Amino acid sequence: MAAPGLPRPCRCEGVVTGNEPLGPGLLRLSVRLPLEPGFVPGQFAMLNLPAGRAWTFGRPLSILDWLAGEVSFLYRVVGRGTGELAGLKPGAAVTFLGPLGTPFPLDLGGRKAVLVAGGVGLPPLFAWRKQRPQDVAAAYFGARDQEDAPWPLLDSGWRVGLEDLGPSARGGARQGLVTDLLEEDFPADGTRDDCTVLACGPWPMLEAVHRQARRRGWPCWLSLEEHMGCGYGACKGCVVPVADGPDAWRPATCCQDGPVFDAAHLAWPQLERT
Amino acid sequence: MMPATPQWWRVDPLEPFQLGPRLIPGRIWTASGCFAYGLTGHEMTAPGFASPFAGLGAVVTKTVTPAARAGNPMPRLVETPCGALNSIGLENVGLDAFIRDVMPELEKRGVPFVASIAATCPEQFGEMARALQETGGGLRHWHGLELNLSCPNVAEGGHDFGKDPHTVAACVRAAREQVTDRALLAKLTPNVGDIAALAVAASGAGVDAVSAVNTFVGLEVDLATGEPILPRRFGGYSGPAILPLALAKVDEIVRKAGVPVVGVGGIATAEDALKFFALGAVAVQVGTAQMRDPFSAATIARRLHEIYLGNKRG
Ligand SMILES: Cc1cc2nc3c(=O)[nH]c(=O)nc-3n(C[C@H](O)[C@H](O)[C@H](O)COP(=O)(O)OP(=O)(O)OC[C@H]3O[C@@H](n4cnc5c(N)ncnc54)[C@H](O)[C@@H]3O)c2cc1C
Ligand SMILES: Cc1cc2nc3c(=O)[nH]c(=O)nc-3n(C[C@H](O)[C@H](O)[C@H](O)COP(=O)(O)O)c2cc1C
Ligand code: FES
Repeated sequence: MAAPGLPRPCRCEGVVTGNEPLGPGLLRLSVRLPLEPGFVPGQFAMLNLPAGRAWTFGRPLSILDWLAGEVSFLYRVVGRGTGELAGLKPGAAVTFLGPLGTPFPLDLGGRKAVLVAGGVGLPPLFAWRKQRPQDVAAAYFGARDQEDAPWPLLDSGWRVGLEDLGPSARGGARQGLVTDLLEEDFPADGTRDDCTVLACGPWPMLEAVHRQARRRGWPCWLSLEEHMGCGYGACKGCVVPVADGPDAWRPATCCQDGPVFDAAHLAWPQLERT
Repeated sequence: MMPATPQWWRVDPLEPFQLGPRLIPGRIWTASGCFAYGLTGHEMTAPGFASPFAGLGAVVTKTVTPAARAGNPMPRLVETPCGALNSIGLENVGLDAFIRDVMPELEKRGVPFVASIAATCPEQFGEMARALQETGGGLRHWHGLELNLSCPNVAEGGHDFGKDPHTVAACVRAAREQVTDRALLAKLTPNVGDIAALAVAASGAGVDAVSAVNTFVGLEVDLATGEPILPRRFGGYSGPAILPLALAKVDEIVRKAGVPVVGVGGIATAEDALKFFALGAVAVQVGTAQMRDPFSAATIARRLHEIYLGNKRG
């Protein structure tokens, strides 16, 4: 059951209105839907092709933006599904099931948000910043190199860290990991104890961000990724271990209980083992 | 090309039908493990549908075991070109929580359901059936009990267990003694040479129908590592790829055993479902397709109802 206050998920057909490359193998997909916009940052949709060409399971993609009648996604081509998505032209039909999942909190109880995004983990944090600009203390985006960054989405409010800066630094990008930038801006000396971290990206980044948040006494919310079947809590194919008492854990679903989890609720010993 | 209109189809899938001692609300069900406990997805919408539960004859709930299980390690699912392998490992809340929390909620929401249980010996099946009957006996929406004699993912029980006609008969007998006024079904594994023998055994011991089939044993290799993708090596193969395999098993049961069959395996469209009905199935279950689209079973029910109406008029 979607938590109270979340929009009702809908299963419907959409029509592709745009599918533009923002870098090599990095695209923004826009889809016209017969629905009123409504999602909370961190929620995702299961996208699929229409009957006859559909994959066994939809592909989970975070919602980047949703303006009147048109929802958009940022995705990287990694395999069969995203490869076929990349070939869709305007006018093509897709099926949409969403918005799904437990999102990032919007109300941080007076705290300021430190947003940390890695690669195609940008959409939830892009959306968060758009909805709550006044509550953002800092926003970081990290990627491997310049070609990995969706520049049209990164205005000057984002501090960009690239592992390989290359010859010509673009958009004020810096050499290094996002966690280095965070370390620089927020020394762990107790001067800023009023922040909350919201992060989405590759697992090593999430682990590092979680450690930084702990050292600063900040609450920390992480959006996790698991392979999914249904996307709506029906199959138990996407479990994440969460703490269940001092030494015990239990499986939670990434698609319904997550993808966003309070880092304090995760069963870290089990997570680190996998 | 449009499939030919099946003019022989004269059954309203939305009409209640008798299965053993019980009148079941309809013939299109969801399969165990693919629609959770029937408590998920109620808030969902789709153009033209009030809910994913519209027109469902029954939800077969996720198999529960005597104690809760955490299930297998990730990854648990592998997509294949026309299906999927799963290795969920029977993650479930356990019988007590099912009886305490799930059954009353299904009753409250008016979800018609068939409870699915798995145990490791006939006595345990009997005890579980008794516990369900004691608490569930008064529920209007509890219609049946499906014995999962075939889950290939559980190391200690499951497979070999459900391959032996004598054990199958013993499990059915133990459950039938306890549950007499609900439909009793035995869900059979297809991973045997003679599935009809299992159906005969189940029927002789008192089931009202067999559900056929559960998943086929399968394996997928990760070419990057040369290792099986699933940590337990094998998984259960399901989805459109198994439709002809499931049809063959159902046909074998219908012709050799003469036992009522609830057809399961690879159904994604109304036409797929009709193939099972053509062979004599009394109802069908939708599994993997329900995961892709929570409105699959509802869509199939509506479409078959329309075909029925068309044939009645025509
Ligand atoms: C909640 C959530 C939100 C996501 N948001 C985005 C996003 O905004 N942009 C983006 O580019 N990617 C996102 N991903 C990852 C994206 O779902 C995968 O890259 C995509 O499913 C790969 O599909 P494929 O067919 O191209 O790859 P293949 O490797 O061919 O896929 C095979 C199977 O594995 C699954 N799979 C493969 N990689 C992943 C992965 N990293 N995470 C989950 N499932 C995977 C596929 O869904 C498919 O079922 C998100 C994942 C989750 C769980
Ligand atoms: C993710 C998943 C979980 C399943 N869990 C169960 C289960 O708990 N009990 C059971 O009897 N069958 C289970 N099954 C098998 C299905 O109920 C069904 O028999 C099988 O998938 C074939 O049908 P399909 O091709 O329509 O999926 C599961 C199947 C899948 C894909
Ligand atoms: S993907 Fe099915 S429960 Fe999460």
